[in-house]
Formats: sequence, structure tokens, C-alpha cells
Amino acid sequence: MPSIGTRAQVMGVALLALALFPLVANPYLLYVVNLGVIYVVLAVGLNLLLGFGGQFAFANAALFGIGAYATGLLQVRLQWPYLLAVGAGAVFTTGVGLLVALPALRLSGLYLAMATLAFAQFTQWVLLNWETVTFGAGGFKIPPPRFDPLPLTSAQGIYYLSLFVAAVLVILAWNVVRSRVGRALVAIRDSELAAEALAIDLARYKTIAFVLSAFYAGMAGALYSATLNFVAPEGFDLFQMVVQFSMVVVGGLGSIWGSVLGAGLLLAMQEGLRAFKGAQEIAFGLLLMLCIIFLPEGLISFLKRHMRGWSEPLRRPDPRR
Amino acid sequence: MRTFRFAAILLSVLAASVLPAVPAAHAQSAVGVTADTVKIGTFGALTGPGYLYGKIIMNGAETVYNEVNKAGGIHGRKIVLVREDDRCDAAAAIAAVKKLIFQEQVFMLHGGGCSNATIAARPEIEKGNLPFVVFASVADEVTVPTHPQIFSTALSASIESASQLEFALKQGATRIAVISQRDAWGRSRYTPLMEHFKRKGITPVADEELSGDANDATPQVLRLRQARPDAVLMVLYPKPGAVFLRDAHKVGFKPVAIGQTALGDLIAFREQVGIPGAIDRFYTISHVRYTVEDPEMEKWRALLQQNFSSDRLSVYNVVGIASAQVVVEVLKRAGKDLTREKVQAELQKLKGFDTGIYPGVITCTPTDHQCHKTPAWIQLVGDKVKTVAVTPVER
Amino acid sequence: MLAYLLVSGLASGCLYALVAMGLVVVYKSTTVVNFAHGELFMVAGFFAYTLHVLLRVPYLPALLLAVLASFALGMLTERLAYRPLMHAPTISLVLAAVGFSFVLKGLARQIWGGRGDYIPFPPLLGTDPIIFGEIVLVPQQLVVVAATIICMVLFAAFFRWTRTGKTMQATAENAKAARLVGIRVDRVYALTWGLGAAAAGVAAVLMAPLTFVYPDIGMSLLVKAFAAAVLGGFGSLPGAILGGLSVGVIEQLAGGYLHTSLMEISAFVIIMAVLIVRPTGFLGARGLRRV
Repeated sequence: MPSIGTRAQVMGVALLALALFPLVANPYLLYVVNLGVIYVVLAVGLNLLLGFGGQFAFANAALFGIGAYATGLLQVRLQWPYLLAVGAGAVFTTGVGLLVALPALRLSGLYLAMATLAFAQFTQWVLLNWETVTFGAGGFKIPPPRFDPLPLTSAQGIYYLSLFVAAVLVILAWNVVRSRVGRALVAIRDSELAAEALAIDLARYKTIAFVLSAFYAGMAGALYSATLNFVAPEGFDLFQMVVQFSMVVVGGLGSIWGSVLGAGLLLAMQEGLRAFKGAQEIAFGLLLMLCIIFLPEGLISFLKRHMRGWSEPLRRPDPRR
Repeated sequence: MRTFRFAAILLSVLAASVLPAVPAAHAQSAVGVTADTVKIGTFGALTGPGYLYGKIIMNGAETVYNEVNKAGGIHGRKIVLVREDDRCDAAAAIAAVKKLIFQEQVFMLHGGGCSNATIAARPEIEKGNLPFVVFASVADEVTVPTHPQIFSTALSASIESASQLEFALKQGATRIAVISQRDAWGRSRYTPLMEHFKRKGITPVADEELSGDANDATPQVLRLRQARPDAVLMVLYPKPGAVFLRDAHKVGFKPVAIGQTALGDLIAFREQVGIPGAIDRFYTISHVRYTVEDPEMEKWRALLQQNFSSDRLSVYNVVGIASAQVVVEVLKRAGKDLTREKVQAELQKLKGFDTGIYPGVITCTPTDHQCHKTPAWIQLVGDKVKTVAVTPVER
Repeated sequence: MLAYLLVSGLASGCLYALVAMGLVVVYKSTTVVNFAHGELFMVAGFFAYTLHVLLRVPYLPALLLAVLASFALGMLTERLAYRPLMHAPTISLVLAAVGFSFVLKGLARQIWGGRGDYIPFPPLLGTDPIIFGEIVLVPQQLVVVAATIICMVLFAAFFRWTRTGKTMQATAENAKAARLVGIRVDRVYALTWGLGAAAAGVAAVLMAPLTFVYPDIGMSLLVKAFAAAVLGGFGSLPGAILGGLSVGVIEQLAGGYLHTSLMEISAFVIIMAVLIVRPTGFLGARGLRRV
């Protein structure tokens, strides 16, 4: 396949297409693509922790939920304006992520998975049962944010905000990965012992990875709450975690652009599989298995083989021994 | 230059895929209607445990629509039913409704299974400005505050909860206990139930909570037994309901048990509880007068078995059949020149419409869109479902 | 009340223990957690239902056939979701198994779900409760406990005294060395997965009369079994049993004495606490770090 241009050019064109999209799309398609953009933020953040950092943690879906709830509750209970609530929600989620990271530093492998899984279940329980604050199982509605004085409807405003935030965060991740932090994470992923021997402070860099992914999840949650105008506990459970993991793995572990692709693909699958009506689960499961078995290094490996300029440094995690 | 070629290709592909979905400049009233079809959108759970209140009901409704189409349609228009899955999940319901309204461009909606999903989707439906007839969602917030275009042919949570308490009192119970799920569904019934207790000046002697996926209810049963109630009001889905009755039987606790429409399929419920005699003192509410096994439903049963052979037959099919008959009647009354405004006007005017399947008549008023107010109380006697009482609620 | 709760807890704990044993057996041998384990359990339950209730096969043969079927299904899982990905990162293996679990769940819903999702299963010995003084038991609970003990003994005997068992242990300890001495490691892996699934199958058939068989049971059971295995220190079969019993009892006690909403979460709170204090679980070995 001939090259279709450098990566930067392709991404630029895609961004342009996305920016023009609201002009032609009906509200359903706008909603779907908006969700896709939010998923990109989630996937990139998770990849920092999982693909680059090698930390197999289940907390991301819960942090996503905390971001959505924090933002929504600040608006509904304390009448904060939306943009302020977004910032505060993201910061709050980052704080929670830090709290989770501290005990998680001592754990690895299965035990880390279990501890973060326990945290995820605990968060679900709190969201369901702490009714005085979280409105409990029924969830709550959020008034659509207003974007005066810009001439945008609420849905369009959220779309452009999401696009902007996603672009900024993807570029940020790209830079983190190529910085010393990124290299340290990869060293830790490939061998903690060797990394320690090289005087890399494990605790510090693992914490950075957790905190970064929590921030991304919090921002994604804040945007999600306004896209849906509704927040309920079920959207942040283990199934959501599976979807997030799938995005990262199908796109390509340890590849930022892979996560972008993975997010888009997963979303397309979720909505596209509606056509299967009752057989959605089977179709999703089969597609997931096929992607993982036949493209174990993710979609990005396919692109890399066929297009120049797509390689990324330090991309591939080491195979299992 | 390759990039520009790529850009051009990408943009035209995007445009080609998106533009057909852009609605042409139709007048609002003509969306979803052509000279010989009318498109009805339906949403509910097609997969997941809530499918009884989604897919099964849709099967019933579709059977009615097929029959109408076979007879030539309504004023020459055939009904096209488009299904979307909300998996009983709020986010999925919002997406499903958006898709039906903006992508499929349906004329009206006839659906709504799990209440919490329907409530989440309600703002979208309101924005969509089209009539919506609810067939199964019972939570009050679905129809209250009243919206000019949202009507319900299902009982409501507050009607059912009040009816549960009234029935217990009529059976002579003085010590009444409650066991409920506290998820969104459970809460939508539990809250009005407690309000009704207060209005009657009674306090429940025990108030237990049971999770929807519990496999064991021993602690709850033990505590309930200690309170020695005459009747237990069950705000539970079939699985926890069966677990409860089974564990109650295990410790020899056999109060009068009073259910609601989620436990409306008595024959299946008896099979689930699995212990002979365990539901002898169990009464529950049904939306409809007949079960699918009754002789009056013979014709529908045959059609269901023919068209939906892999799905189970259940009383929820009948719920769909009854609700669809209301929709068909309203479409007929709206006349040949079919617009959304006309359908809405006909719905508001609907008075005393007897489907023959609902226990009472369907009546909507401009201020009250809760059109079904007649719970039927049923009990399993031998192998037959018997109607014990029909208790219409004052308007 | 305490007596009831303890008995209920031990009975459900036995089931968690069996399922957890299946997880641990596979983990010890292949260092992989089988995320489709819950669905293997679920399919075995439906199989048993089809055989025993729909086709009227007597209970014990139905049990054996269902266990055999889940053994085969376990081997299939290994072939599809493990072997092609042996050298991929753990997360890929996890997701492949998860994908397979969705396929199984969807198929179960299509095949059996339409007929009634919470399918009741008649118990082995009838439903009349047995009363020991203060304690009330359903006979099926006794069957569960007895069967779990038998299984544990069989497992222990298998690993200790049979050649295959020792082969599996050898492979678990050092796969390369096992290959060098001529052990067919692929076959061992297939057998191991089959065995793990069979344990889940036994649990399913035992559990079916006490709970119900439904397509969504897999995930919540997997999470509980995972919790039980971690509590006992992943990699230790006696630990899995101890963990399973603990989870069962803790759930019931929390529900009985504290609040029913805590039943779902109590196991996790305990685990979080245990992992903070003892990061490798009750009986987990402080592993050597391989350089």
C-alpha cells in the first residue's frame, strides 16, 4: 500500500474532518462520534498505565465514573458552572487516583489486578448506596451545559470541547512518552528489577503513571457526563473496563496512535453491532478474539508495516517469558 | 500531493456516508410516514436479563402489527417496526432513542422496558418532538411531569405499590412487612409504597432489602420471620423473588406473599421457586386479564409460536399485544392524513377504550397520561391462573 | 441466627472454593488466569439442565456428562484463547478469554435464554429441610459440602499419586525443564485447562439447585472466585479452598449482622485489607523474583 502521507498530515486531515462533522451530521451520529472522541481520551490514558507502564490495573472504569459523578454532582448539587465543574472533577479524580496508587505500589501482577478490581467494585457500591450524595441507583439528570456567547448548541459545544481536550491530551501523552518519564515507564514495564538497578525510582514513576491515567479518566468522565446529560452507576462497571482494555489492546499496547485507532474502532463496533440485535454479544466476542489472535500487536502494527512514518519509539512491550 | 489525494478521498467517503442521513426538508408532521408505510420505533432490552420487559413484549406488539398489515394496514399504510436494544442501560437507551429518532426517522415511539433506561432517554424523546406510548416502564417519572406527547399503557409504580398495600389490608393483614430491591427499579416502587404506608398511618413491621442477583436470602428471611408479619409485600424481580420464597419455605416461614407485575408470570415463577406448595399463598398483579395459555389468546399464541419460535411464550407477550392494540386504534382514529399532532390529539382524547385484554379501559386525559389504572390480582390455583380481584384506582 | 448464617456461608463457600480451585489449577500450571472460567461454569450448568430436566437423564449421569462437557470446553478454550497467545502480554490473553466468554454467554442466551432465563433445577434429594436442633439445612447443601470434600480429596490424590498429576506439577514448576525430560507440555496445558473447567462444571451442577442457571452468572461468580483465590494466595490449592470458604462466610455474616447491601462488597473490603497487610494473601508464598 503506498504511503498516504506522514502521520502528521493524516492526523491533520482527520482532525479537520472531525471539526467539520457537526455541519453535516444528525444528532445521533454527532453523539456517536463525540463518544468516540471521549473514548480516545480514555484509551490513551489507560495505555500510559497499561501499555507503557505495564501496570495491569482495573481502576480506570471506576475513575471514569468518579470523574463523571464529580462533575455532574458539582453542577447539580452546588450549581457550579460547567467548565469549572469539569476542571474540579478532573482534579478530584486525579486525587482519588493518587490515593489508589499509594497502596498499589507495593503490589504487582495478580495482586495489583485484584486490589484495583476491589477498588472498582467498592466504587460501584458507593455510587449505588450513598444516595444522599450520588442519587443512588437511578442516577441523575444534568442540565445541558450552555456555551453562550458562542453560537453553538449544547451538543455542538460539548463536541468541540471534547475534540479540543482530546487533541491536547493526545499531544501531551505523545510528549510524555518521548520524555524521560516515558522511558522510565518502559524500563519498569520490561523489568522492574533492571530498572531499579539503573536507579529508576519505581514508586515515583509508577505513581506518575497512575496519576496521569486518572487525570485522563477524570477528564473523559467530565465530558461524558455532559454528552449524555445523565449519570448512572451502570456505565462504569466491569464491562466498561473490558471495553477500555479492548480499545488499548486492539489498537496496540504501547502506542498512542494505536489507542486513538482502537477507541474509534471499538466505538464503531459498539454502534455498528446494533444491527445484529440479539447476537451482539457473540459478534463482539468473536471480533475481539479475532483481533487479538491475528493482530497481537494491535492495529497499529498493521499500519506500521504498510505506511511509512508510523513507527513510534519504545513501542513494543516485551513478550511474556 | 498524496496527502491531498488521501484527504479528498477521506472527505468524500465521510460525506457519502453521512449525507444520506441528513434529513431532507420534510415538514415535521410527515417524518416516518410515506404513502404506504408508517415507521414505529421501539426500544427496550433485547439482550440481558431485562429482555422479558423488552424483546418479549415487542414480539407481542409485532404480532399485532403483522396482523394489521395482513389485513391491509391502517388507511392503506403498513406498519414497519424498528427495534433497538437498550440492554436496560441508561447510556444505551439514550443512544437507541437518538438512533430511532434521527437516523431511522420514525414516526412515533412505542416502547420503554426497564424504567431507569426509559427515564434516562426521556429528555431525548422530548427533544425529538414525537408521540411516545410506553408499553412496560412503570416508574412514575416516565409520565410525570406530564408531557404532551408521552402516554403510558402500563400500570405505574405508585398505582401498583398502593394496590399492594390495599390488597394486604383487604386480606385482613395487620402486621405487614416489606422486602425490596434497592436498585433503580426497586426504588421506583419502594418510595411510593412507603408514602402510601404513611398515608394509611401504618408502619411496616419489617423492612428488608434483597439484591437483584442474590442467591441466598437467609439473613433477610430470618429477620422477617422474627417480626411475625401476616403479609409480606415483595418488591422483587423473579429471581430474587424465587430465592426469597424458597429460603422462606426452608425455614418454615409461610406468610401471605404479595407481588407485583414483575412477578406477573405465575407459571414460570412457580417453576422457578421449584417447591410444591410454596406459592400457594402468593398473589400478584397482572397488567392484563389473560395469560398466553388462556383459550381467549389461542389465535395470538399460534401466531407467536409461528413467528418467534425460539422465544419463550409469556404473559409479557400479552402485554405487548394489548398495548399495540391501543396504538393501532389511535393510528386509525388519526385518519388518512397522518401527522404526529393528530396522533397526539387522539391519544389525549382516548376515553374508555376497551382492548378486551387489559382488565379495565384505557383512558387518558390532558393532565393525566397514565392511561391504565386497573390492576388485576391473580393467583395460581392448581394449574390455572385465576383472577382474584380487579381493583381500579380512582382518577 | 449465627448458626444459620455459618451453615449457609459454608455451603456457598464450598462452591466458591470449587470454582476457585479450577482457577488456581490453571494458574499454577500456566501462570494465566482464565477469564472465561465463569462462563465455563455457566455452560456446564445449562448442559446439566438440558440433560437432566429436558432429556430426563438421571442426576448422576447428567452430572458426569456435564463435567465431561466442561472438560472438553476447557480444552477448547486453551486451544483458542491460550495457545495462539502464549507469548503475548498477559492483557491480551485476558481479553481473548473475555472475548470467548462473551461468545459463550451470547450462545447460551440464544440457545437457552429464550426458554426462560432463570432456569430452576431440581435438587438431588428433594426439598424438605433437615433440622439439626437450631440449624436448618436444605439437603442440597449437604450434597454440596460432601461433593466438595470428595473433589478436594480426588484432586489431592490426583496430584500426589498419579503420573499425570506429577507431570502437571513438573510442568508448572519449570516448563522448559519438563520439555527437556520429554513431557508433552502442550498436552499438559490442554489437560490442565480441561481439569480446571471440570472443577467449575462440578460446582455448576451442584450449585444449580440452590441458585438458578442463567447466562449472566459467569462474571459475578468469576469475580468472587478470583477474590477467593487471591485471599488464599493464588497458586495454592488449599489456599483457594480456605479463601472460598472465607468469602462465603464473610458474605453471610456481613449481610446478617451489618447490612444486606454489604453482602456484595464485604469480600472485597476484606481483600483490600488483606492485600495491604499481606500482599501475597493468606497462604501465598513470598515468591522469589526471577531475574
